[in-house]
Amino acid sequence: MKIGAWILWTAVAMAFGGVVLAGYFVDLPMLLELRLLFLRWAILLSAVALLLGILNLLAAHLHKVNTQEKGWPYSALLIIILLGTLVLGLVFGPDNRVVLSLFEYIQLPVEATLMALLAVSLAAAGVRMIARRRDVYSLIFIGTALLVLMGTAPWPFGGSGLSVTFGWMRNWLAQVWAAGAARGIVLGVALGAITTGLRVLLGADRPYGD
Amino acid sequence: MSLDWVGLGILAAFVVLLLVFATLGRTLPATFRPLPAFEKLEAAIERAVEAGERVHVSLGTGSVIGPESAPAMAGLTVLSKVAAATVMSDRPVIATTADGAMAILAQDTLRTAHVRARAVDRYEPTSGRMLGATPYSYAAGVPVVLATEGVSVHVLNGSFGAEGALVADFGERRNAFVVGGSDDAHAQALLYATADHPLVGEEVFAGGAYLKAGIFHNASLRAQDVVRVLVVLAILIGTALRTLGIGL
Repeated sequence: MKIGAWILWTAVAMAFGGVVLAGYFVDLPMLLELRLLFLRWAILLSAVALLLGILNLLAAHLHKVNTQEKGWPYSALLIIILLGTLVLGLVFGPDNRVVLSLFEYIQLPVEATLMALLAVSLAAAGVRMIARRRDVYSLIFIGTALLVLMGTAPWPFGGSGLSVTFGWMRNWLAQVWAAGAARGIVLGVALGAITTGLRVLLGADRPYGD
Repeated sequence: MSLDWVGLGILAAFVVLLLVFATLGRTLPATFRPLPAFEKLEAAIERAVEAGERVHVSLGTGSVIGPESAPAMAGLTVLSKVAAATVMSDRPVIATTADGAMAILAQDTLRTAHVRARAVDRYEPTSGRMLGATPYSYAAGVPVVLATEGVSVHVLNGSFGAEGALVADFGERRNAFVVGGSDDAHAQALLYATADHPLVGEEVFAGGAYLKAGIFHNASLRAQDVVRVLVVLAILIGTALRTLGIGL
């Protein structure tokens, strides 16, 4: 790319970003309208980008099928289902019962299955973590997780003094220690997000390329 | 017209601190605390390049038009550095995301790395790709990429929810070198258990500074530290005043 081009992209990014950012701090009707207009443009562009992303995904899997790479039948299946869903959506519309059924009976169960798999994966990861990282922090992590589990899970033979104690400890850990630590993490993340955004606005970071 | 003076003041302080630390960066270089995830990453990338294996950078499941874009922007910096290190290898880095716009930014980042290395003919547009439009459909696509592309270094630097734990776990199951970072506090807790090298708190934004991406990245960490101390002081003073019954 020529030298002049990246200067132009940077100027455009800085100008648009500056107007949107200023809209949060300056209560000026014209500025607010501009901010909303730019955000609407961004949403439109994001929708077009989604389409490009899908085309990119399609190209990657078509390449796999053409070159008969390992696992190409899965790629072929993905292409068939992707195009099938697209045709059904275009013909019947997105609110049609057939199209909604695809999401209800295929997409949702698959995603729910993955969520359920997460519980098993986390249990295995906990055991693996003890084996790999035997330091104080890992032991505290596992110990806390076990305490919270015992304070949350139902106990046999109804409630007892022990279950009440674990329940109290769970609440104390969650409301005092975990809430305080989470606030600290959120604060650090917010500061990091601000500086990352400012680097893009100042043109120091150019995610749109040179 | 009304102005949010407090917000503008904090913003101005950030900009001034960034510029001051960027200017002082060369004369007063910063010393950062050890961060094993990024320190070991360089060696892991070298091993992957020598072994003919691939590095995978996951930019998360967040959208560009939202607050969750910030960690992915930091991830693009990491991607840029990893791309520079692997561009001439047999298997250059690949990047995946769950957002179309972020996939385009990843492609731009990868293309730029190839242009800088004068190897634009080696650039493949599908090396930056969108795997799925929802968090869990993205997670479902990750193991296929890890297996078919021969990935041995798996970097998660973006916005993840609970699905981030699955994405990291898929890498661990392949015995890959896994770095896991997210902006979400709950996801960070999950990544702490599943990723071998978890990034805690704002560490997800620190990749650029540790991978030597430029003076502005070092300046960012220093500016964050200064503002953090000021915020902590404000919290402590506020707590003391409220304890003494003095309203603010």
